[in-house]
Amino acid sequence: MAGNSLFYEFKKGLWQEIPPFRLVLGTCPTLAVTNSAVNGIAMGLATLFVLLFANIIISALRKYVAMQVRIAAYVVIIALLVTVTDMFMAAMFPPISKALGPYIPLIIVNCIILGRAEAFAQKNPVVPSIADALGIGIGFTLSLATMGVIRELLGFGSIFNVKLLGEWFEPWIVMILPAGAFLVYGGLVAAVNWISSRKEAAAKAAAEA
Amino acid sequence: MNNLVKILLNLIIVGAFSGAVLAAVFSVADPMIQANKEKELKESIFKVLPEAKDFKTLEKVLGPEEKVVIYLGVDEARNPVGVAFKADGGGFQGNIGVMVGLSLDYLKLKNIEILDQLETPGLGDRIREASFKDQFKGVEVQPKVEYIKYKKPEKPNQIQAITGATISSDAVVKNINNAVARLARAFPKEELSKVDTSAADPAVKPASAEVK
Amino acid sequence: MEQKTLETKEIKTAPPQEPPAQAATARLVVSSSPHFLNTESVPKIMHSVVMALFPAVAASVYFFGWRALLLVIVCVAACLGTEYAFQRIRNKPIKIYDGSAIITGMLLAMTLPVGFPIFGAVLGSVFAIGVGKQLFGGLGYNIFNPALLGRAFLMATYPVLTTTWVWPRTMEKAVDAVTAATPLAMAKFEGKLDVPLMDMILGNTAGSLGETSAVAIILGGLYLRYKGYINWKLPLGYLGTIAAFSAVFWLANPAKYPSPLFHLFAGGAMLGAWFMVTDMVTSPVTSLGQWIFVIVAGILAVVIRLFGGLPEGVMYSILFMNAFVPLLNKHTRPKVFGAAGKQS
Repeated sequence: MAGNSLFYEFKKGLWQEIPPFRLVLGTCPTLAVTNSAVNGIAMGLATLFVLLFANIIISALRKYVAMQVRIAAYVVIIALLVTVTDMFMAAMFPPISKALGPYIPLIIVNCIILGRAEAFAQKNPVVPSIADALGIGIGFTLSLATMGVIRELLGFGSIFNVKLLGEWFEPWIVMILPAGAFLVYGGLVAAVNWISSRKEAAAKAAAEA
Repeated sequence: MNNLVKILLNLIIVGAFSGAVLAAVFSVADPMIQANKEKELKESIFKVLPEAKDFKTLEKVLGPEEKVVIYLGVDEARNPVGVAFKADGGGFQGNIGVMVGLSLDYLKLKNIEILDQLETPGLGDRIREASFKDQFKGVEVQPKVEYIKYKKPEKPNQIQAITGATISSDAVVKNINNAVARLARAFPKEELSKVDTSAADPAVKPASAEVK
Repeated sequence: MEQKTLETKEIKTAPPQEPPAQAATARLVVSSSPHFLNTESVPKIMHSVVMALFPAVAASVYFFGWRALLLVIVCVAACLGTEYAFQRIRNKPIKIYDGSAIITGMLLAMTLPVGFPIFGAVLGSVFAIGVGKQLFGGLGYNIFNPALLGRAFLMATYPVLTTTWVWPRTMEKAVDAVTAATPLAMAKFEGKLDVPLMDMILGNTAGSLGETSAVAIILGGLYLRYKGYINWKLPLGYLGTIAAFSAVFWLANPAKYPSPLFHLFAGGAMLGAWFMVTDMVTSPVTSLGQWIFVIVAGILAVVIRLFGGLPEGVMYSILFMNAFVPLLNKHTRPKVFGAAGKQS
């Protein structure tokens, strides 16, 4: 039973509560840094790292933090993690750090992280919090990667910098621009909703039968 | 009262802990970050001054808001070969930073390199492509660099603008012209020839010394 | 959502949420709500607009060659195809014969340079009808002018191809230069204000298919006015604002800023004024709303032309104001006579 619920906490982030498409959370990085697959995944992994450790620390401290100042304490912890991530990336991967620009520091205000802290980590023990962070974080990374793959394919004709479409393809520059992010985002939200509604309808039909 | 103590302790501990961790990470990461920046700067200088093997940093304060920094490139025998400097200015969307390599007589460009730009991908950002940058090799900067459209350059001070990205091409040319004019104002040619280039630049120091 | 007649309804009784009639056979004019009673049918108006566009199409073929006609045909076919596909998928009655998709296709083609690739024209048409019109719910529901939206999408997608102009065949320069600059681009980037006015009026300049010949467009516009399908306020208000506002700058510094006549006859001002500002679906219905719509759009067009990063601002000025149409309709609705002061 415990294993099942742990798996549920992990799995819900991958589809049922996949942050940008179902919860419409974390849209700022989803729109801003997904102009290539590499950027999307780097941003997703950075967020996953911060989310994981924020959930662990906040969950471990949940009995000691006073209710009145919990948000302040969470924000300091999240800011610490984000700053460490930012410095780590600037030191080890300068090109990616340059491409992501201010969006790594902006993870501090990413509502997914504070949202999970409030909604999950402060009420649950460490192990389920890890499962929750991994699920949501991986779901977020996959969402950004999907956006990045679509935009890079249409905007540059490549995926992970590997040219896939030949000379005949005239890149759609709009896809690398902010407008393209909104178009792809809207399309993906619609697609996710459409698939879910079909699934629900099928489940309902099965239940009735 | 008890609660107040708890609140204070909470914040103090979280703050102190975060501060300590940050300090530790910073002491490790910062030298690497500075080294990365310095490497980037060095690479761009050697790119725009291909003969240079080392460089000497010169600074001059022109006014309360204006500081001119140039890099005098030297070859193996430590003879000056050219001067490099950064030219900043607005493009279509944001700052375009260009590293410019200029001959010692301030007449001809040696090469340029685009350091920072936020131009439209696939359009303005084609200023980074070799086909655009290489045009500047050997272009005369007197009276000033010009660009023309739709046809090959005719005069020695001309380059061809990128079709559909006139504003970005124009910004690069303008930045170069402004920076060349500023250079001539800050460091007259004669002054430059008197600079002692025999000693290595103290700027080439262990990066950790740069921690501010 | 299905066929609906509103013959007995008048403006004050039609709530804004009421879907506009879609029936091709109903005796109704299609417009965004609120609705007016009208005896014209949609196809009749739409086919008149198609007629009105013929002079512009003919002029484009004369100046740019048969490829212009090819682009028009491709755009119209792609628009019709997209409309059919969407109506088919959504299980709606197929109404591609009402002519609205034909107009979108023709107008989109009119905004393209003659050398624009066929695949790009198809892409723009699919976007114009698919995203610009059908995703909003079809004719009458769209917020933005579909043709302009398609053009804006192409502009962002293929910025080089959409601005690669050629000289018209009728110009001597056509032989030795491959690419050309529009009068607006010359004024903006090269400071050249000396394009002969007559060339711009006739259409003997570089530019999109339908925007070069002012005469042909005005002919079409006057025909529509004669038929009573367009309100004189919209085109004349728009052009008048452009002329008046640009005159301020021109009088201040004639050496730097182009003259009002230049602004009127250069670029897409004429095409925009007669065929896009007047779009029934995406322009306000109240008199005050129409004035606000055209004056702000006219000022915006001049501001973009003179101070923006792009040489031409007509497209964005109209699209921008399209977004305000529901707001304008809501807040400029006339008070019901005799009603108490409270009216939302």
